[in-house]
Amino acid sequence: MFSNWNKWSIIVFIIALLIISPILTIFYSAFLGDTSLWPHLFSTVLPRYTLNTLILMIGVGSLSLIFGISTAWVVTRYDFPGKNIFEWALLLPAAVPAYVIAYTYTDLFEYAGPVQNSLRTIFNWEGAQDYWFPNIRSMGGAILVMSSVLYPYIYLMGRSSFLRMPISFYQTGSIYGKNIFLTVALPLSRPAIIAGLALVLMETISDFGTVDYFAIETLTLGVFNVWLGMNSLSGASQISSVLFIIVVILLTLETIGRKNQRYFEKSSGQNISSIIEAEGIRRLIYSFLCFIPILLGFIIPTSVLLNFVLKGFAVINFQEIFSAMFTSLYIAIISSILVISVSILMITVSYFRSNKFQKFLIFISSCGYAFPGTILAVGVIVFVGLLDNFFKFNFNYYTGGIIILLFSYTIRFLAVGNGAIKSGVTKINPNLINVSKIMGFSFIKILRKTIIPLIYTNIFVGVTLVFVDILKELPMTLLLRPFNFETLATYVYQYASDELLEECSLAALMIVIAGIGPVILLNSAIKKTGKIRKSEPLIY
Amino acid sequence: MKVNLFILLLTILFAENLFAKEINIYSHRQPFLINPFLEAFTSETGIKTNVIYSKKGLAQRLKAEGENSPADVILTVDIGRLYIYEDLELLASIKSTKLISNIPSHLRSSKNTWFGLSKRARVIIVDKNRVKNGEIKRIEDLANQKWEGRICSRPGSHVYNRALMASIIAAHGNIEAEKWANKFVNNLARKPQGNDRAQVKAIYEGECDIAIINNYYFGKLKFSEDPEQKKWIKNLRLIFPNQEDGDRGSHINISGGGIAKFSKNKNEAIALLEFLTSEKAQKLYGEINFEYPVNPNIATTSELKSWGVFKEDQLPIIKIAELAPVAQKIIDRVGW
Repeated sequence: MFSNWNKWSIIVFIIALLIISPILTIFYSAFLGDTSLWPHLFSTVLPRYTLNTLILMIGVGSLSLIFGISTAWVVTRYDFPGKNIFEWALLLPAAVPAYVIAYTYTDLFEYAGPVQNSLRTIFNWEGAQDYWFPNIRSMGGAILVMSSVLYPYIYLMGRSSFLRMPISFYQTGSIYGKNIFLTVALPLSRPAIIAGLALVLMETISDFGTVDYFAIETLTLGVFNVWLGMNSLSGASQISSVLFIIVVILLTLETIGRKNQRYFEKSSGQNISSIIEAEGIRRLIYSFLCFIPILLGFIIPTSVLLNFVLKGFAVINFQEIFSAMFTSLYIAIISSILVISVSILMITVSYFRSNKFQKFLIFISSCGYAFPGTILAVGVIVFVGLLDNFFKFNFNYYTGGIIILLFSYTIRFLAVGNGAIKSGVTKINPNLINVSKIMGFSFIKILRKTIIPLIYTNIFVGVTLVFVDILKELPMTLLLRPFNFETLATYVYQYASDELLEECSLAALMIVIAGIGPVILLNSAIKKTGKIRKSEPLIY
Repeated sequence: MKVNLFILLLTILFAENLFAKEINIYSHRQPFLINPFLEAFTSETGIKTNVIYSKKGLAQRLKAEGENSPADVILTVDIGRLYIYEDLELLASIKSTKLISNIPSHLRSSKNTWFGLSKRARVIIVDKNRVKNGEIKRIEDLANQKWEGRICSRPGSHVYNRALMASIIAAHGNIEAEKWANKFVNNLARKPQGNDRAQVKAIYEGECDIAIINNYYFGKLKFSEDPEQKKWIKNLRLIFPNQEDGDRGSHINISGGGIAKFSKNKNEAIALLEFLTSEKAQKLYGEINFEYPVNPNIATTSELKSWGVFKEDQLPIIKIAELAPVAQKIIDRVGW
């Protein structure tokens, strides 16, 4: 378990250690802190918080799976009206931040919103007592809005897996008259889908913006009540640590569950999966199926934002918004490249060059995604403070701030990068690497010549996902940024937290727009994976 | 000659930079709210300001940065947050006769670490037509069963409500306060949600008849650029609770600030706090954000006066912060 140390695994070990340290800091402060609050928490809010968290996770997980898998399958397998648009449009909701969609849905569906207003006018209802309308600020509402923007993770991972499925597998399934979706595609895509689901669940568990706005009492909301309300950071760290442990257990179970299954295949050489023309009523059903999540996760929120922009044109400060956009773009570009580089290094080394202990460390280091951003940010602050006192490097606060921000984005979004890279690397046949080793190539050369070309698409997927995630990122940027550093997300927040939507809707729209370009590029990159390129080795 | 002129110009340029002082601010208040004050400060003193705004975690950041921290001034709302800074020993004790004479003693720290800069009252608003004049006079009245299903509220664990809860504990003790909270929660028309603005909207929409808000939201809505929002307050009556003779007065909270312990620009930082208690800034608080001046020598704006003159709870504001954890526990228990 502890053998096999080499230059690369040591480097990765150190990086992993750096990344884990802030998480360990949170655990440390949880451990040190007094536990006198627990009896109170247990007897009052904790059961409710835990139950709500579980319901939210199950709800968002299920709905995202339904949205993600069904759409991924039909656009990969069938031809129907609008398919070419749906293919990429289904990714668009990924660019909409969950807190923004929460604001827009509330505005639309609350009592005074246009929907209920029109209903009242049409049916001549007087007030709330005359009719029933679901409350958007509810558990159901939270599940709906969060699933509408999180399902693209599953769609993306599922679709690239469906596309890479060798046609021979489908043919075999068809020969036996089986439903190839249920018997072939779904089981074989399990690692990819689970990877997407893991991201969805981690994001759900760590979300603060949406649950706060909808007043859903989850564990994350509890973390903040304990921290700020009872002035107990250690109590807050304790609840966060419980959350973290839940996530680690979930992920470990999944890893154990597929321990003995291998997912790389020696291709038959014929892997263009054929597309079937959908017939009759199915054409409509498939179009409808794809339209729903786009409507919910993209069309509705952006229309509401657009309406706000037009309504509040006078109060929009264009200069501030454009400068925030510039900041957002450059920080997102730099960080997404950084995160993916770390991911490539970690995953390849973990897969080909490391022992079990290092593998474990690398696994844990990608769990920062499951912490509420602000708590993770506090972990970073405390850890960097300790380093600072120890080494006396005395960061200049401007450059220091940017470096700290990059560091914390890496901790937070490594899970996203690792997920994307891993699904590529695990499909590389280890023999390929062994052959390269026998020929005496250095690791860096194998990485450059063999691994990276093989996982090119995965790299692209990873960079795009992290880029879009950083554009949307709020709590860590808010707390860790240097002076006078305003991103689109922080700009939106200062107004939106005061429910002043006119002032910030343009900035919110900008976040979405900045995410659209990469998302469309992403789609064309994934499509290529389904096609044979002569120069590309046919190994999956 | 040309070269000399060039050098002269350069010197002037750099001299400006050399002597232009800057201070760094950690702010819990949104930039759009504090910028007008900072601009006025810079134009008066020539001292530039840099800001980081976050609602949470700035105290932890300041603490971790220790002696290396670039922060000079902390600006925040709610006494609870100021207290956390003092509790973590992050604030410098400063000497300023101006601050002491401008701020009454119950609104600043006895150790001269934090200072109240403006006041806001937590008031009750009711729909004029649905709640009769004089039916509600005290915050305690909201526990009356006759308001069942008629009150809207933001979640209890928000600082403003937690502070209000603490003031009730201070007045009546834990047990009575919890009884009040229990009955109050029973009277709620819907699950606590939204901010203060959302409660006003809910009354306008008829979901409920009564809510508790910070007084300045009334002004923000009254002078909103959105004609829709102006309508929300048309039928509202503002009630300053607990005003009768012998009663304790309305619960107030403060926005405030302090100087970071390891500030390298203490003089400039003090200058900012002093400026914020000066006549010019104290008036700005009223004009921009409908808050009350802490400086007793500055008159409240006529707009604020038109909403009513009121007696404020004279409880040393620090009590609110000290009781906040107890208040949060009650809030957890009653499910506010």
